Amino acid sequence: MTQMSRSIRMTRAGRRIGLAAVVVTAATLALSGCASAASDRPVELTYWMWDANQMDGYQQCLDAFEDANPTVGVHLEQVGWNDYWTKLTTGLVAETAPDVFVNHPQQFGTYADLDQLLPLDDLVGPAGPVDLADYQPGLADMWVGQDGHRYGLPKDWSAIGLFYNADQLADAGVDPATLEDLDWNPRDGGSYERLIAHLTVDDNGVRGDEAGFDRAHVKVYGLGLNRNNNGGFGETQWSFLALADGWSYADRNPWGTRFSYDDERFLETVTWWRGLIDKGYMPTFTVASSGMNDTDAFAAGRYAMITQGSWNARAIASAGGFPVGIAPTPIGPTGSRATVTTALGDSVWAGTKHPEEAKRLVAFLATPECQDLVAKQARVFPALRGSSELAAAAFADQGVDVSAFTVQQQEGTAVPSPVVLGWTRLQEIMGPTMDAFLAGADPDTFEKANRQVDAIFR
Amino acid sequence: MTTLANARPGQRRSLWSRIRSGEAHLVLFFLLPASIGLVAFYLWPAIRGAYLSFTDYNVLSDPTPVGLANYQRLLGDDLFWNSLGVTAVYVVINIGVQTIVAVLLALLLHRATSSTLVRGIALMPYFVANVVVALVWYFMLDYQVGIVNQMLTWLGIDPVAFFGDPELAVPTIAMINVWRHAGYTALLVFAGLQAINPSVYEAADLDGAGERAKFFRITLPLLRPILAMVLVITVTGSFQVFDTVSVTTNGGPVNATRVIYLYIYNLAFGQLDFGYASAISVVLFLLLAGVAFLQIKLLRSNQTDLD
Amino acid sequence: MSVSAARPVAGRRPRRPVDAGRVLARVALAIMIVVTLFPFYWMLRTAFSDNRYLAADAGNLLPTHFTLGGFERVFGLATREDAIAQGGSGASIDFWGYLRNTLIVAVLVTAGQVFFSAMAAYAFARMRFRGRDALFAVFLSALMVPTIFTAIPNFVLIRELGLLNTYAGIALPTFFMTPFAIFFLRQFFMNVPRELEEAALLDGAGRIRSFFRLILPISAAPITTLAVLTFIQSWNDYFWPLLVGQDDSVRVLTVALATFRSQTPQGSPDWAGLMGATLLAAVPILIVFLALGKRIVNSIGHSGIK
Repeated sequence: MTQMSRSIRMTRAGRRIGLAAVVVTAATLALSGCASAASDRPVELTYWMWDANQMDGYQQCLDAFEDANPTVGVHLEQVGWNDYWTKLTTGLVAETAPDVFVNHPQQFGTYADLDQLLPLDDLVGPAGPVDLADYQPGLADMWVGQDGHRYGLPKDWSAIGLFYNADQLADAGVDPATLEDLDWNPRDGGSYERLIAHLTVDDNGVRGDEAGFDRAHVKVYGLGLNRNNNGGFGETQWSFLALADGWSYADRNPWGTRFSYDDERFLETVTWWRGLIDKGYMPTFTVASSGMNDTDAFAAGRYAMITQGSWNARAIASAGGFPVGIAPTPIGPTGSRATVTTALGDSVWAGTKHPEEAKRLVAFLATPECQDLVAKQARVFPALRGSSELAAAAFADQGVDVSAFTVQQQEGTAVPSPVVLGWTRLQEIMGPTMDAFLAGADPDTFEKANRQVDAIFR
Repeated sequence: MTTLANARPGQRRSLWSRIRSGEAHLVLFFLLPASIGLVAFYLWPAIRGAYLSFTDYNVLSDPTPVGLANYQRLLGDDLFWNSLGVTAVYVVINIGVQTIVAVLLALLLHRATSSTLVRGIALMPYFVANVVVALVWYFMLDYQVGIVNQMLTWLGIDPVAFFGDPELAVPTIAMINVWRHAGYTALLVFAGLQAINPSVYEAADLDGAGERAKFFRITLPLLRPILAMVLVITVTGSFQVFDTVSVTTNGGPVNATRVIYLYIYNLAFGQLDFGYASAISVVLFLLLAGVAFLQIKLLRSNQTDLD
Repeated sequence: MSVSAARPVAGRRPRRPVDAGRVLARVALAIMIVVTLFPFYWMLRTAFSDNRYLAADAGNLLPTHFTLGGFERVFGLATREDAIAQGGSGASIDFWGYLRNTLIVAVLVTAGQVFFSAMAAYAFARMRFRGRDALFAVFLSALMVPTIFTAIPNFVLIRELGLLNTYAGIALPTFFMTPFAIFFLRQFFMNVPRELEEAALLDGAGRIRSFFRLILPISAAPITTLAVLTFIQSWNDYFWPLLVGQDDSVRVLTVALATFRSQTPQGSPDWAGLMGATLLAAVPILIVFLALGKRIVNSIGHSGIK
């Protein structure tokens, strides 16, 4: 720093520019000299993930791997979700992608199609170290590409739940037990809508289901709205409702090619959902997309309930200064509840210099030894059945009852999230369409959008 | 200097011709590095970009020629036309407001103060990175925690969703960039003001002209050449808005801020659709060349007006 | 007041309206200064605030729950648990590393661009050769090419050269020249009196010697101005480093800041940390500005810089 300011003074003199440049260059070189980090292991792997919450668990896991493999070092790097895919893509192009990375079922098809992922078939074959029967049902299948090769091993599974502010529930005189079997339908919203209405309070203290409710001046919204509407996925927004109405994303899963965003069941679901805004039970899209996100607003007491994923359960439960409960998603017209479940996976980049070690790491990440370490952190549900049960117990130790999520596995109501080839392009269309719909556009915009989406896959 | 040169024309010419004779390799020496830069990073990429626009190219494998397919796709691409429209609205608001603010500011700097410190303050935002400026304003304009909305509340005005409202997002971003650039533009105009001979105003004073008349009859016409130059520079820059959008709204809400740079960036680096992205770049290039050509004509005609 | 109002016509020419205008001008100027400086203050105020109380105490003009936590997160001094508890991301942020990367790139670009552009400008300003004006026109025409048009092919080129995620890759496209730099310096070099250089050349000094010993020193002032502007431009650049320098080892501050914004697990920015980081990123430039501001302010008027 002193060198730098000295060089500036010289430049100010307007003379001896060459000397100043020499000083600055010297300072630059001096600075760059202090940065190189030497490694003491012959093979260095890089492992990427986006969720900082899970880093402690996985660091323990990687330490255990390093203990068992003295020649291999693993560097854990976190990249935020918003930049993850762009950064990964540029990494692939630049040939500097991580050797192993957390992958998403909606993304891996694109990368497999570009020959960027290493097939992992030999890890699960008869001679392989991983037995697919140990996983929660349905998870492992998500990671098989269109060419029949396996491109990832599942690491965890997720579900959607209804998070509620227990204090506000008590104020409203609602028994939390009644939330266990809420029902919903797209016409009058069922007991789900009645609950949302009852939990909404305007500035004068009038509840949403009482006479004189002022929907223009709402203090507490019954249900929150996520600023990121998640376009055609609607994972935490509307998917559990549409699925409970008998809808499905596409003609088949995985690798669907004809989508159903023009289906009546989808349209009536999102129309009901948007109707909550007009009724004053949910914030407008404009408000939701320009300030705090839904979890912050929930923690600040602005929303009585939000629908969110199991991966955020710990964070949400501890964010506000009030007790938080989690109820399962409501039972729909099909007579059962529903949730999307997404199995994140670990993939190996085809360009890695150390394919054997990278695959060994992926296999290790799929062992009970590693998944139990992750489970104990009570952040996510590991993909292995045994570890998943351990995680549920760990959540309970932290005071978070996660039965609202596990019930979906037990009842078989968890629907695998859509696995498609051109997900990014699909979202380029569906994201703005859903934005526009929430902001008031006519439902028939979805017909046009659906045609555009289908055109991607032709 | 001129007298000296005129006094010995013959001698001078012979000296120069002597120097010139052995100079070919010297010219090469002086021009070589810059020429490498020009060819490698301007001319060759321009040719290559044009070529790529006729191919399907994902960078990971070789480009496949597809003829005019990318340009055909472009014609029916709503997102492309939307991004052109969004960019145009941005440029109009940004340039319109910025130019007016800059002229007013320049007048203030010229008439109301002679402090270099004040001029320096006006210039300060220009020195801070776009990204920094965007982030600070993004925070200040936040719906719930932003100080601007707090101030509006104190005044009894409802909070405004500056970035969340599709109608307001582009004007908001345009105004943020006005904040960053107005002081700089003002200094350019300020230089133009200083170049105006005070005697012109004295003559006007004698004629009894009011302030407003002096501004519209004298100041503005005399500023026209410098304003034209400023416009050429700022309009071209304005079309290339990316940083501010990229770190704030990233195209949303409802594509309201998906400017053309962002669209090209997402196509190329998000979806590895380099061929189509190149085709849009070509169109943008032609568009900008057209705008610049018009402006240069404007600039020329202004010069002849005044000379 | 009432007296002058009684004689409105006579009062128009002398003092009064001028004074009213003066007050108005001063007020306008004061507003301008406040609007310009307030965001800088707000960065400072937020950087020293505690994230958890920002929402509840948004209108507080002083830091809410004064803390150095934001800076600790920026410098990577906070543990992951503490950082997450305070609304940070818990991701490691190598602020000094990004600062170093920015500095290296900015110095490389400034040194190369100014020097090589000066060489070319010298040739165009002071040497005579066939096709000179035509060649100069070609250089100038490059000014019209928008960045995005060359960005994609340049990215492909840098990739083919194997220079993605290297300092060289980030610096190269602007390392050899920019049309503006050549244009800018040529103007000044043309104004150096011919006799001065003739004398030097008569003394037996070659062109190269004359360039280094005469032209460069005599043009120190414009060269410094150009160098400062190039340095700042490079320091603030975002688009190109975003394309070719995503890797942590070469990531520059602007790119790191944009990433920092989207880092927290719950998706809500760590405002205190972010404002601390933006402030720190702006400080070096503000120092340059304070040291050289007067020169720049004055020279912008004369040169009509980009």
